[in-house]
Amino acid sequence: MTPNPFNSFLLICQFELNRLFSTRKGLLYLITFSVVWCFILFYPIRIASDLLALKQNSSSGGFFFEYLGLGSLMNWKIPEFGVYWRFSLFLFPMLSIIITSDQTSSDRERGTLRFLTIRISRNGLFFGRFTGAMFIQILLIFATLLTTIGLTIYRDSSLFYDAFYSSLTIIVNLILVLLPFTAMMAALSVSVKSVRTSTTWAVLILVFLAGIIAALSSYIPSIIYLKFLIPGYQISELAKLSLWQPLQLAYIPLLQSFVLLTIGCWIMSRQNL
Amino acid sequence: MNNTIVQCQLIDHYYSGKKALSNVNFNITAGEPIGLVGPNGAGKSTLLNILCGFLRPSSGIVTLFDQKPGSSELNGKISALPQDARLDPTFSIGEQLVFFARLQGFSHKEANNEALRVLDNVALKDSFYEKPIALSHGMAKRVSIAQALIGTPQLILLDEPTAGLDPVNTRNIRSIIAELSPDTTIIISSHDLNELGRLCQNILLLDNGIMDSIQLNTTEEDGNFIQFLTIQMNPCPATDFIGKIKLLEGVLHVSNPQKNEFIVEYNSKIEPKIDLKIINCIADNQWQYRQFSRGKTLEEKLFFENKSI
Repeated sequence: MTPNPFNSFLLICQFELNRLFSTRKGLLYLITFSVVWCFILFYPIRIASDLLALKQNSSSGGFFFEYLGLGSLMNWKIPEFGVYWRFSLFLFPMLSIIITSDQTSSDRERGTLRFLTIRISRNGLFFGRFTGAMFIQILLIFATLLTTIGLTIYRDSSLFYDAFYSSLTIIVNLILVLLPFTAMMAALSVSVKSVRTSTTWAVLILVFLAGIIAALSSYIPSIIYLKFLIPGYQISELAKLSLWQPLQLAYIPLLQSFVLLTIGCWIMSRQNL
Repeated sequence: MNNTIVQCQLIDHYYSGKKALSNVNFNITAGEPIGLVGPNGAGKSTLLNILCGFLRPSSGIVTLFDQKPGSSELNGKISALPQDARLDPTFSIGEQLVFFARLQGFSHKEANNEALRVLDNVALKDSFYEKPIALSHGMAKRVSIAQALIGTPQLILLDEPTAGLDPVNTRNIRSIIAELSPDTTIIISSHDLNELGRLCQNILLLDNGIMDSIQLNTTEEDGNFIQFLTIQMNPCPATDFIGKIKLLEGVLHVSNPQKNEFIVEYNSKIEPKIDLKIINCIADNQWQYRQFSRGKTLEEKLFFENKSI
């Protein structure tokens, strides 16, 4: 009986999905996420989009949002999706850090990885867990977009096609945004021994690394390019773009993901289990 | 036919600068179980972890079935009972064993049957739906052994398989090992020398990271006339016993390594039936023996060979 490496990879992904949908811990997480999302949907998104819809119809509306630094919201045909895009660019990366922080660390600490690596290559396990984590986030994005489509067509059912189109662009762009965050957590997870440590490191990297690089670049100017490797580097720019425009910056998260996954994979292959 | 399945050449391993393994060299051929013994901290688990691919040796070459440890080519060919490894507490035991079986190439239905089979082997079929946290230490160890029995591995590495098990389950594990041999080669690391003595003819001894290989039951069969008997007595005067046994023809030396245990060294060419004479001597003196066996105990051979005589 010869195990097929691709099947094993798919099984690892599937097992990660089971972890979310068939375990008490996963279901608790889903319930918490749903409650938080309902709050975001019914208050910030609905109220802000109502306001936007009102302002879009008035001549002074554009100036008002420009003044607040939210002029890009006017680029979205459906205000709900403009607000969703703004929220999701900050909400999902934060969620990503939390929900993907334990790709391998607990299993390594417990010794469970030993049972697995005797049956699947370390690379297969690493990429399987990473892909599983991405699938979970895609499902969550998908669910939140479905509820946003529902809210939109409840307001105006003729917007269904536009809502669907906007959702498609958002899901592709959000996947690109989340890739480097998930890759960073995969790399951190193979390097440290606990979820808490990997989350702490992620926060330190995101909050302080850019500052450290900026400070060091005054001595070594070329080091400033390292900022490109910090996940989320392009998010403030993305917030100003709409629909397919964010794909202009897709090379940044793809490059970041490639580098972070390579580092994670290298550490995983040399890690003592 | 020389069917070498494990080759280790000049393996060194360091932990924080401290040498755990030093120039370890050995080959293992497919067949009978092999015991791996040594005092605490001798490097047994380190060696098994290297063979499983959990650790990378600091230097040296290791191959299993001509592949590097951890190679995907070895998936399904080798299995292991790692020391202190625990299952994921989130999933039931059955779910995890089915998952392991599926990773080894079983279909879902086959994997389910396989999980039940291996749990049945370790008398834990009823724990299929239980979470690992509900198990005692011994039961958790048996589940870990069960996962090592999934499929038809050609090599199984067991790190202290019976440590913490009750006598009934220890015996059960021993019979499983005996049943699997020689189709499956099993390397057993253990401190239980009685168990290893029963299961293994080949012993690898690790001490201070240095490896030695011992073949049991050979000296008596290789034309060497100097042989040994180990006698465990009910309480008796040791000095009298030694004195009287020494008087028998052919006896070269009698030692008393432990209370009521004696090792008799004799020349079988001078007196081939020394065992009968010793039993007669014991009977004449109205002593009683508890156990009478040829050769030295494994413990004596491995650790006290040069000290006891």
